[in-house]
Amino acid sequence: MITEIIKRDGRHAAFELDKITNAIFEAAKASGGQDHDLAQDLAHQVQQALEQTLGDAVPTVEQIQDEVERVLVETGHARTAKRYILYRNERTRVREMNTRLMKVYEDLTFKSSSENNTKRENANIDGDTAMGTMLKYGSEGAKQFYEMFILDPEHARAHREGDIHIHDLDFLTLTTTCCQIDLLRLFRGGFSTGHGFLREPNDIRSYSALACIALQSNQNDQHGGQSIPNFEYSMAPGVAKTFRRTFTENLTKAIEIYLEQEDGALMSKSIIQQAERETGKQAVFAADNGFDEAVHRLLCEHTEKAVADKILHFTHKYAVKETRRATYQAMEALVHNLNTMHSRAGAQVPFTSLNYGTDTSPEGRLVMECLMKATEAGLGNGETSIFPIHIFKVKEGVNYNPGDPNYDLFKLAMRVSAKRMFPNFSFLDAPFNAQYYKPGHPETEATYMGCRTRVVGNVYDPTREIVNGRGNLSFTSINLPRLAILSEGDTEAFFTALDEKIDLVIDQLLARLRIQSQKKVRNYPFLMGQGVWIDSEKLDPDDTVGEVLKHGTLTCGFIGLAETLKALIGVHHGESDDAQALGLRIVSHMRARMDAASEQYHLNFSLIATPAEGLSGRFVRMDRERFGKIPGVTDREYYTNSFHIPVYYPISAFEKIQREAPYHALTNGGHISYIELDGDPTQNLEAFETVVRAMKEAGMGYAAINHPIDRDPICAYTGIIGDVCPRCGRREGEGVPLERLHKLGLYRHLNTTTLGYHGDPYEERDRTVNPV
Amino acid sequence: MTKEYNVTEVNGVAMVGEGVGFERIRRITGYLVGTLDRFNNGKRAEESDRVKHGVSCCSLNDSTRSA
Repeated sequence: MITEIIKRDGRHAAFELDKITNAIFEAAKASGGQDHDLAQDLAHQVQQALEQTLGDAVPTVEQIQDEVERVLVETGHARTAKRYILYRNERTRVREMNTRLMKVYEDLTFKSSSENNTKRENANIDGDTAMGTMLKYGSEGAKQFYEMFILDPEHARAHREGDIHIHDLDFLTLTTTCCQIDLLRLFRGGFSTGHGFLREPNDIRSYSALACIALQSNQNDQHGGQSIPNFEYSMAPGVAKTFRRTFTENLTKAIEIYLEQEDGALMSKSIIQQAERETGKQAVFAADNGFDEAVHRLLCEHTEKAVADKILHFTHKYAVKETRRATYQAMEALVHNLNTMHSRAGAQVPFTSLNYGTDTSPEGRLVMECLMKATEAGLGNGETSIFPIHIFKVKEGVNYNPGDPNYDLFKLAMRVSAKRMFPNFSFLDAPFNAQYYKPGHPETEATYMGCRTRVVGNVYDPTREIVNGRGNLSFTSINLPRLAILSEGDTEAFFTALDEKIDLVIDQLLARLRIQSQKKVRNYPFLMGQGVWIDSEKLDPDDTVGEVLKHGTLTCGFIGLAETLKALIGVHHGESDDAQALGLRIVSHMRARMDAASEQYHLNFSLIATPAEGLSGRFVRMDRERFGKIPGVTDREYYTNSFHIPVYYPISAFEKIQREAPYHALTNGGHISYIELDGDPTQNLEAFETVVRAMKEAGMGYAAINHPIDRDPICAYTGIIGDVCPRCGRREGEGVPLERLHKLGLYRHLNTTTLGYHGDPYEERDRTVNPV
Repeated sequence: MTKEYNVTEVNGVAMVGEGVGFERIRRITGYLVGTLDRFNNGKRAEESDRVKHGVSCCSLNDSTRSA
């Protein structure tokens, strides 16, 4: 007589015949049966069979289930048996996934990020912190939940097996990728963060502080990067307001000094107001609108011309000086804030990009100059700032050539980039960017977000081919090298397989959009609630966002073109013209498919050169397990980034540029190329400029130059450090004599009597000698 | 407050910086990372494979590639 069973976790539980009956009855019902008595009878047979084979031993769950299957088959209930087996398999899969999830949680809990690759999936999240780990629990749990219950099983399988990669899967049901925030619009009349209302700012320092708050607030509504497409245009009104205020303040001071008045405020206020009435203008940086002359005339009513000259000179000089200083401080604070302020419960800083370069107003130019100089100076101890990503928009007639109004800023951008790796450079003259460009409309200047995302064309609404308020909705990448390996050198077979995967990706992006479209404005208090996303200001909190989301992009990506070509024809596009031709054919085909999908669905499908971070290792790991080590294909730890020439392949900067540029024109969802420069580029700005110009002339859209930036935290030297720090002579991991640091003016508060002491240097500095 | 480093005595000489490495900032996928420790395994391998691109020849038709 069976009274107990052994559960899967080893614990004993009471034997309940009803459970077997019910399982059989459910399986029978699923295949059309409805005879409960028969199910009970069959359950009895199972019990008897178990008692015969096991005797007094306690059966396990698995043994009971095996017996159910056997009895169902032997008694001729084939369809019910099949249902029962399917059900059992599904339960097993769910159980295994739960076990796997718990194993992932165990590793997240007990392993540090140095041992656990999952914690380092994205380098900008600190996986070792409490909030970083919490974020990972949520992320890993969400992924498994979606895989089991939300995703179409075909999409889930393709993702699980590494045919495709659904990026940011953990946010599948929650939000969209990124947005280009128009601060000018947002600031007009003030805005609310959801935790408080902020008035329209009146000073460049508040403009920059609010810019950070806007980036941070929007970051909490989306999983991708946040970009400001018109940074200098957005900040310029702040500079103008600060200038007007300092102009009035300094006019007051000058009146007090030169006219020997106790309180000049009243007089300066009345002069300013009258000058504004007379000219219809306000005080400006450039002093080119007749306002200063009006002030001068009015001053002459109170004093002689020579004194009026002095007053105006003083006023303008110090207004300029104070405005420049305030702007620099504002930009310095912005860089500091964007490197330290937290989003997502403190696990990471917002992923921010600032685009600028084309505003030729004195105010906009000052913003750019100060921002770049603050970036060049570095953070508190001279460290290189990690965020924001700076993107300098290069445009002929604006900043590209000597004589262009912002040429000096282009030169400054290159100098700063040579030291700090930012700005990157975007090229508005590339034909695919130039087609949208309308002079005087910065919203038509193609901009780039985060790693490389680009959103400007608009199939859904061709009258709104602008960057402001738009972004990517989601993107999914195809494992190109696997398709190539499976095609075994048959190029046409490769294209057939590629088409199937593209179909799958289009289907999956649409399925995800359907989920995203059901969300409501109130799910995105800032992005939609404050009208940051295009047209969302027309919606109420309980409206769904489906319509306005159609301005965003649905994007297909790819990784490992180089390995794909190796697998198909034995050479990559850096080493063979034939490979380059085939590479272009592949990427052109993908783009054509995206254009066709845009037409078909009246939505913005685009093709992106995938920024593979987490993905760079994932696909190749799976493919190496499956196909073994294939030279040039699966023999490294990563697949090469999108269409890049492999990083290990020796090639000149100029040839790399020539070979990668044509892919920029094809990847309308985003692209970037890198050149790795040797040595310290600040010592060779000419070479740096030659490379940037070559990028532009080759028709690239977005590019950057990489060079090593090392830093010795002991003496704060920044530059290239081999084995020995050039400043203090320290070797990695070793000490340097304190005396040598003293000679460099460092560590003066430390001396031999403080050996082993590393307490508060300020306390030490403040110690006074006791009187004898 | 600035980070303070310990002073240790080695053969009678006061030294600073024992056990302190250099920071090496690299670009990951478009953004910079303050130290290679935060890279995942795939990106670490990729970073260590990167070769420099020569600019000695400034003609676009020239090439220094070896293969």
